[in-house]
Amino acid sequence: MAIIAPFHEGFVSELVGRPAFLERGGVRATIGRIADFVVEHPEDTFPRIDAVIVKTRAGQRAVPVADLVSLDAEGMLVAAEPTVERPPDDAALYLVEDLFDKQIVDVDGRKVVRINDIEVARTAGSLRVVAADIGVGGLLRRLGAARLVPGLIERIPRSLIAWDNVAPLHDLNPTQIQLSVAEHRLARLHPSELADVISDLSAQDAARVVGSLDDETAADAFEHLDADIQRSIIEDLGTERAADIIEEMDSDDAADLLGELSEERQEELLAEMDAETADDLRELVAYADDTAGGLMTTDYVWIYPHRTVGATIEKLREIAPEREFIYYLYVTDQAEKLLGVLSLRTLLLSSPEATIHSVMDQDIVTVNPDTKAEDVASTIARYDLLACPVTDEHGTLVGIVTVDDAIDAIIPQRLKKKLPRFTKPHQHRRLEQTG
Amino acid sequence: MLGPGFVTASAGNDVGGIATYSQAGAKFGYETLWTLVALTVSLIVVQEMAGRMGAVTGQGLAGLIRENFGLRTTFLAMLALFFINTGITATEFAGIGAAAEIFHVSRYVAVPLATIVVFLLVLRLPNKIVERIFVIFSLIYLSYVVSGVLAHPNWHEVVVGSFVPHVERDPVFLVTVVGLIGTTISPYMQFFLQSAVVDKGSRARDLPAIRADIIVGSILAIVLAGFMIIANGATIFQATQLHHAAPIDIDTAQAQDYARALEPLAGEAAALLFAFGILNAGVFTATVLPLSTAYIVCEAFGLEASLDRRFREAAVFYTLFGGAIVLGAGLVLLVPKDSLLKLIFYAQVVQGVLLPFELILMLLIVNRKRVMGDHVNSTLGNVIGWGTAVVIGGLALVYVWQSVSSAI
Repeated sequence: MAIIAPFHEGFVSELVGRPAFLERGGVRATIGRIADFVVEHPEDTFPRIDAVIVKTRAGQRAVPVADLVSLDAEGMLVAAEPTVERPPDDAALYLVEDLFDKQIVDVDGRKVVRINDIEVARTAGSLRVVAADIGVGGLLRRLGAARLVPGLIERIPRSLIAWDNVAPLHDLNPTQIQLSVAEHRLARLHPSELADVISDLSAQDAARVVGSLDDETAADAFEHLDADIQRSIIEDLGTERAADIIEEMDSDDAADLLGELSEERQEELLAEMDAETADDLRELVAYADDTAGGLMTTDYVWIYPHRTVGATIEKLREIAPEREFIYYLYVTDQAEKLLGVLSLRTLLLSSPEATIHSVMDQDIVTVNPDTKAEDVASTIARYDLLACPVTDEHGTLVGIVTVDDAIDAIIPQRLKKKLPRFTKPHQHRRLEQTG
Repeated sequence: MLGPGFVTASAGNDVGGIATYSQAGAKFGYETLWTLVALTVSLIVVQEMAGRMGAVTGQGLAGLIRENFGLRTTFLAMLALFFINTGITATEFAGIGAAAEIFHVSRYVAVPLATIVVFLLVLRLPNKIVERIFVIFSLIYLSYVVSGVLAHPNWHEVVVGSFVPHVERDPVFLVTVVGLIGTTISPYMQFFLQSAVVDKGSRARDLPAIRADIIVGSILAIVLAGFMIIANGATIFQATQLHHAAPIDIDTAQAQDYARALEPLAGEAAALLFAFGILNAGVFTATVLPLSTAYIVCEAFGLEASLDRRFREAAVFYTLFGGAIVLGAGLVLLVPKDSLLKLIFYAQVVQGVLLPFELILMLLIVNRKRVMGDHVNSTLGNVIGWGTAVVIGGLALVYVWQSVSSAI
């Protein structure tokens, strides 16, 4: 059992360089200096420190935490002569070597920052990593300002990130089978927040982060990224993986993305997808960005008029999880000609035996694929719609424009960034913790 | 069209560049041209390393220094970068002041006015637009090419001066060469280029385009620099040789003395053209340099750096760039009028002295396989890179030793 007294909490930079002692016959002998701390399970929420690296005359030695008698700002007293050489290149995490001065994602603040110092504390009998110091205080502590101007650092507001919000970027390894720490912490974010983080990363790290996410998470985040970042990441991922992600995206966003690529590249990616999705996307790509055709999605629910309300509700329950938009149901004939619209509300309030034909609204507002984005938006606003169907010259339903895409198309980019966020972090699914 | 390499190399032809090239030509004729030819190779190799590091790692030079050499080295490097860049900002305002004096406008009016213009440009116009305006106005430097040709230099001497190394025993020759090095390969240019490559999201696959941009940009910038020397050599230096004029003394020369290099082209209007050239260079660099320095320093320390933030949210960032502009402009107002050009010149010399330190850090990083993977330096790159660092370091040492011993 390790006795780490009287140490309670402190910063790694205050411990590094301190002497390590050994007691021989009542006399303390210095055997070396503290160089680093080893964590064997970095994936834990607040990982335990398993060993201390001591720099001795004979080279670096690993002292297991169990051998510590005491550890404080004066130094470290060890129970036995350290004999284990530091393993040259193992899977463990070294706090100073691997993390000091390196970039991490602050998952809570959704920013890329650098670690200035690391806070460790004794909890439940073991020494654990609890926070990353990313503030000016940490910088000054590292530079030795405490000795020059005592009390200066204490006066600076602390800027610590709790360790469960730290996603180190160095451990993102696409070949690794186990989830990296960064990966499972980043996957907690709302897709739009994840997109914020990805935009903040270098192109290299962005590709690695996206590469490490599952297709669905990656697709959700992709929908919120700027076109040039999307393009750069797509180029890095390889055709097959890129096609998988694009397939998971809403069709309007997927088409926008494909539209940014060369025709050659488009075909390569479409060839990797299933034929139906590829055909839909081919049609969508052909429309100009600022028209209804460019904004629309093909991910809507359509039904035949002779069905009953009850059967429709059953069917809807089955397919709804896969669909982007289910609040309106579009009624078409065999030739996909649009006959009427039905809101989810009407559907729920109608008798289950009624036919769709008897309850649908036949007085439909539609736009053409060529209608300008502003006109689509004002149509949606005038009739208080959640989505507006897009039909061709024969009255055939080719897609719908949802209200959020219509708003996106008419609000300038700069303004959008200033709008408040409507979603809170961490409300989305959490991946199960590994290890 | 205008890649980071092109913009960076053009930025090298700032007020300090114009002053240093003019002085080199006016004082030594075509004798320093060969150093520019040698520097072309070094400039390309050094800039290519910076571009490659940016494209491969996705990080700026300051970030890489921090990850590879730790906080203390980074702190010293950033301190040096901030002070030298503030010094260069001062030279830009000195140029603006000197240009104003040519029009008989007091620099006590011109420099505060320019400070306001610079702040407005930084806070109101996107950097990209400022960059484009500058590059367009930079066409004015072509007037040196035309003037250099119209002055009918002895082309045989120009070729000999360009390709046959020649060293004068005059201590001023050494200081001029160190100044030429410092202004042609300024330490900030590598930071600037690497950050620009990263901002563009360039990747290792973009390296051929990055290299082409750097090579073309560097050669164009140095050809312009060469013609500044030739134009000054063919006019001012020629006149002193024929005893039509007293030799140039770099410690007392005034800006308008160098306007004469443009007389073969512009005649009476030479002074106007010259002043406009420095004004453009000065305003641009004073706008871009403090801002990019603040970005670089904040990046290194992980501090908030964005013009979209309020002052309280990015206090260090705003203080750094505002401070560099105000200090730079203030310094110019404190220095006596006759010393403006001297201030400009010696700031370039300091850059030349600091450059080897930067080159050594860069060379160490660019050779680390852990950082650069397959894109570590080639043997040829290392020979030229280390050669440049050693030669410049040697010259800087000799210069420092000379100045110290003469001071004692």
